[in-house]
Amino acid sequence: MTGKIKNWLEIRIGLDELIRTQLTQYMVPRGINIFYTLGIVALAAFISQVVTGFFLLIYYIPDTEHAFGSVQDIMSEVPFGWLFRLMHAVGSNLMVAVVMLHMLSVFFMGSYKKPREMTWISGAFMLLMTLTFCLSGYLLPWSQLSYWATTIVTSIPTAFPYAGEFITRMMRGGETVSGITLNRFFALHVTLLPMLLILFIGIHLFLVRRIGISAPPFDKVAEKKKLWIAFRHEDHPDGHAFYPYFVQKEMYVLMAYFALMFFIISFLPTLFFPEDANTPADQFKTPAHIKPEWYFLAAYQMLKLIPNKLLGVSIQVALTVVFVLWPFFDTKEEENILKRPLLLFVFVLSLITWVGLTIWGQYS
Amino acid sequence: MRYLLWLLIISLMVFICAPLPSLGLEDTAARSTACLDCHDSEMMEPAFRDIPADWKKSWHFQNNVSCHDCHGGDPTDAAMAMSPERGFAGKPEYSGVPEFCGKCHIGILKNYLESGHGKALKASQSGPNCVTCHGSHGIQKANINIIDEKRCSQCHTYERAKAMKQALFATEKKIRDVRDSLRELKAAGVFTEEEEKTIFNTEAEFRTLFHSVDVSLIKDRSDGFVKKLEQIEAREKSVFRELEFRKNFSAFLMLVFIGLGAVIFLLSKT
Repeated sequence: MTGKIKNWLEIRIGLDELIRTQLTQYMVPRGINIFYTLGIVALAAFISQVVTGFFLLIYYIPDTEHAFGSVQDIMSEVPFGWLFRLMHAVGSNLMVAVVMLHMLSVFFMGSYKKPREMTWISGAFMLLMTLTFCLSGYLLPWSQLSYWATTIVTSIPTAFPYAGEFITRMMRGGETVSGITLNRFFALHVTLLPMLLILFIGIHLFLVRRIGISAPPFDKVAEKKKLWIAFRHEDHPDGHAFYPYFVQKEMYVLMAYFALMFFIISFLPTLFFPEDANTPADQFKTPAHIKPEWYFLAAYQMLKLIPNKLLGVSIQVALTVVFVLWPFFDTKEEENILKRPLLLFVFVLSLITWVGLTIWGQYS
Repeated sequence: MRYLLWLLIISLMVFICAPLPSLGLEDTAARSTACLDCHDSEMMEPAFRDIPADWKKSWHFQNNVSCHDCHGGDPTDAAMAMSPERGFAGKPEYSGVPEFCGKCHIGILKNYLESGHGKALKASQSGPNCVTCHGSHGIQKANINIIDEKRCSQCHTYERAKAMKQALFATEKKIRDVRDSLRELKAAGVFTEEEEKTIFNTEAEFRTLFHSVDVSLIKDRSDGFVKKLEQIEAREKSVFRELEFRKNFSAFLMLVFIGLGAVIFLLSKT
């Protein structure tokens, strides 16, 4: 039976050749490490979010009167609804962490350099989209935490003269966060963002496969240092087979990812749910200490520290632009960051600053 | 490139070293009112100046009951805050205190007025009112320890009060246990609003009964309260069992993925 199906596919799509060229004879560089698997883990995380999100969508009601209640029903009435909701909530945090780690490792390996500028930019946009996913999804449970965190975040554009108020009103659909905001964020979360992210994933994967996987810079042979004056696929004839070598590595890390997710659900189920996440939204009652999620804490703390709101927001926008367009700022050919002390210093300093601000934001 | 790196470093240093506070993003402080502004100021008579501090430590403060909720007036308009036109009632007469508090604590007022305490106040204008036992601005959440020898002996012997306290003890303990479990469930991320409402109503009804100061009535009705509390307790136990199941189920899934990871690792070694 299996043979028949295989033969049927062989005739129609040339299955054997496809497996040979794309898996068993497709070579990945020697010295490739587990950080190279983070891309596939991020993709798996996104698929997990889509699947769990689909089940949540069946029972969730995007309406201020029913949103909080419907989420509570998912948690307590729907069979295994708690599992899907916790997988979705914990998964969103883990997905941000994985995408961030992926970007960090790509930066550290210098894999953003010519000819991979577009791969980096598409990845950077996907990180921003992931954060927008989190922001829009955060409001949907319509809890005190989600309501007031969204109120704070949507007030940030008001720092800009002239257009700021307009942007905030457009995001909220009025002066304050309301049912209209909920509908806007819901539509963004379940339609526009998934479509955009899928498009970018397609572009990103196409670029990775078209250009070839970049070898780690630390033990590169002379061949790799050939100048990119015309398009060529970066081959690794002396490397390992994508299947089984690299696929095994990917599967191994994927299992670790899901094991970590279920560890958090099992032993730290309230890690991402402070008390205000369990209280219905009340626009007349401001909670004492509202803080954004961990991945926004550094930006939040930075805004608190800079006395001028416009300056703070402008610096953040400028840093984001520099981050997205980084391959065009760093045009030196040397990929090994260990041979570039100034870049290494900036990298480490940025990392320490981000971690420091995050911790400060959490405990301030 | 070099200039850009310096720009980046300077940007980072700006927000590391930038002087303090804040954007006003945290719109979180307790909102000030005209009442608090005046009573906190140096111009206020010393006797009235401690009121805001006492109130901020009170059970009323924790439950968002502010000055104007009891005393009326307009807390948003300093000039008219104490105007009778805006419903300002001021400080009640001693004998008017039960009606003053009873605007909110309706059931308790009824039981109090029918009790020995209420009748004494009505007859002599000097019997115990709400403030005698509970205090005023610094009022704390009521519990049976308010019934103590020192307080009760101000007016009469402690024997009768002691008998009443003993009759209340079992139910009071049950309320405390059920509340502790609810708090535990809430900390575990369970939405407990319905149970909290039920226990709030049961407790309020029970507290109302206190004020009748009628030992036999309390003994007669205690079983009813205990039954209600046991129903909540049963629901709590079932939620605890569900949480335990969730923990075990997701731990099982975790082990499945660890096992799969181990299998893949072993396969890669072969």
